[in-house]
Amino acid sequence: MKNSIKIERAKKNITQAELARLAKVSRQTINAMELGKYVPSTVLSLRLAKIFEVEISEIFTLEDSDWD
Amino acid sequence: MKLNFLFPNKFKKIGWFTLIPSAIIGLVTLIYEYEPSFLDFNVPAIFVDEITLSESKRLFGMVNNNILNEILGVLIIISSLLVAFSKEKLEDEYISKIRLESLVWAVYVNYGVLLFSFLFIYNFSFLWVMIFNMFTVLLFFIIRFNWQISKLKKSAYYEE
Repeated sequence: MKNSIKIERAKKNITQAELARLAKVSRQTINAMELGKYVPSTVLSLRLAKIFEVEISEIFTLEDSDWD
Repeated sequence: MKLNFLFPNKFKKIGWFTLIPSAIIGLVTLIYEYEPSFLDFNVPAIFVDEITLSESKRLFGMVNNNILNEILGVLIIISSLLVAFSKEKLEDEYISKIRLESLVWAVYVNYGVLLFSFLFIYNFSFLWVMIFNMFTVLLFFIIRFNWQISKLKKSAYYEE
């Protein structure tokens, strides 16, 4: 799964640490998500969508490998 | 998803402060077979099977025992549970995932070591395996989990 957290973060001009605080997770988790190492839960995805004020599908996109 | 069977974060420190000294003392007294006589007590027991002059097998009974190893064993088990299963400062879902993975890993490693020992260690030496095996699942978990967390903190040190 691809995500545009880093891009959305740049648009909002906030750091990983600020986003982490807003989403109530650790900065390491934000970092791991941006690097594609961690796929967030539905709850965290919804929180991110709310923070960025976009639809959830604008942040996360399925890849072919997600169907395997 | 609020129920996670973990202790509050503050218990982690208490756990470490108890675990380190009791593990060291436990290991030393085990190796030197130190059993101070003031800790000899008659204690209640079940499944008593004493090798005495008149060999007796009883379901319940009193046995004479040095309680130092019991005290240390209890301290080590409780404190390693606290160290292993106290929440991180910010226990989020990613940490929980690492926790679960580390637990699976620790169980595999523990039983891998046990299988090996089972096949190649015999007689009295195997007693040592059993003694250490009481604590190794938690020990392997603690090592692996903390290693992963510190790796994570390092990898996220530089932003962008």
